[in-house]
Amino acid sequence: MDELAQRVEEISGQNVYACYQCGACSAGCAFTEDMDILPNQAVGLVQRGDKSVLERNTPWICASCFVCSVRCPRGLDVAAIMEGLREIKIRQRGFKKMDLREIEDLDRLPQIAITAVAQKFTW
Amino acid sequence: MVIEVELLYYPGCSLKNSYPEFELSALEACEKLGVKLLEIPDWACCGVNPSLATDNVMRHLGVVHSLINAREKGREIGTNVVATGCSMCYNVFRRVNLILRDEPDALETVNAFMDDQPDYVPEVEVVHLLTVLREMGFEKIQEEVIKPLKGLKVASYYGCALLRPNKPEGIPIDDPENPTVLEDLMRGLGAEPVEFPFKVECCGNYHVALRPDIVEMRTRKIIGSAKSRGANLLVSSCPLCSYNLERGNEALREEERIPVVFFTQLLALALGADPHLNEKLKGRILSWMGGDGLA
Repeated sequence: MDELAQRVEEISGQNVYACYQCGACSAGCAFTEDMDILPNQAVGLVQRGDKSVLERNTPWICASCFVCSVRCPRGLDVAAIMEGLREIKIRQRGFKKMDLREIEDLDRLPQIAITAVAQKFTW
Repeated sequence: MVIEVELLYYPGCSLKNSYPEFELSALEACEKLGVKLLEIPDWACCGVNPSLATDNVMRHLGVVHSLINAREKGREIGTNVVATGCSMCYNVFRRVNLILRDEPDALETVNAFMDDQPDYVPEVEVVHLLTVLREMGFEKIQEEVIKPLKGLKVASYYGCALLRPNKPEGIPIDDPENPTVLEDLMRGLGAEPVEFPFKVECCGNYHVALRPDIVEMRTRKIIGSAKSRGANLLVSSCPLCSYNLERGNEALREEERIPVVFFTQLLALALGADPHLNEKLKGRILSWMGGDGLA
């Protein structure tokens, strides 16, 4: 197994080679218009061992809504694969996806929103 | 009504701080139904979005801390059921509890780490308040309704956390693609449920912090659909959905907006408890109901 696919599986518990590229995940995804590649394409890059997937914005636009995971005919938790891709970056030394000081309206956001983003975007 | 059931209750941060109307209406409506919700001692934040990393159970420790306290308190009062009102808290607690029940290695790791508390024995059952109400029976609840919400057109917005993911099994409280529990409750309260196609679509979740444009785009669609289907208001069980929907409302003209309330507020209103609605919105709701007085 390719190194990238193996790392994704270690983190997410998902075997990306189960994906047969039907595109059901991308069809149901409510966030594709802000993504640079579709969710199934991101999975495809992992299948081919193409590390450029880690520089795509797709995993960061994924909102963990799990529509893809519920609909995948192969039973893959696609949202967990996206989390795996995020985690690979987040666990790299020096990588920083967000800074709380960059949140424009920090003082008006409820704590549920701040905790949610910190949970996904920080170590 | 005489208190018939005592359940453990995990409020979470949003009910305690951001949306006290959710907690107060939930507690007071439940008392009307004979259910006493006992807050578990010394609970910690759920983390909102559960970590999906299977190789790092440390992310779950806040939930484990609360589950241990829930189990200990439950042993004192003779229940193992912990109810939550917030969908996000429900999702995280339910998921972590299932992992600890089904994965002995994960349980051993967290128990080795939590050495200032008793070991967690995964016998607690985490439920959402809507499940408690459904099991009680919407017909029975209907019998307790003092003020039927007659004429009120309600679009039920589920969002994600009540329904997804379905892996591990046991998280959705209803059919993930076509849930009806909120509509069934609303019907029981005398309201008119309004079907609309965005009821299970995501509001944008945490993007409100860094990409509020995404949340506005999502929630404007949800609001627009509910409005065009003729709903008077949206009912929610998730504080983050509610906040995001209000952000969508702010981005719309006044006549395009729709009020968002928690399901417990309508439950309380129908049962004759305080719905903890602001006066203006309460007035609008009563006028939609035909204005036949209710204090």
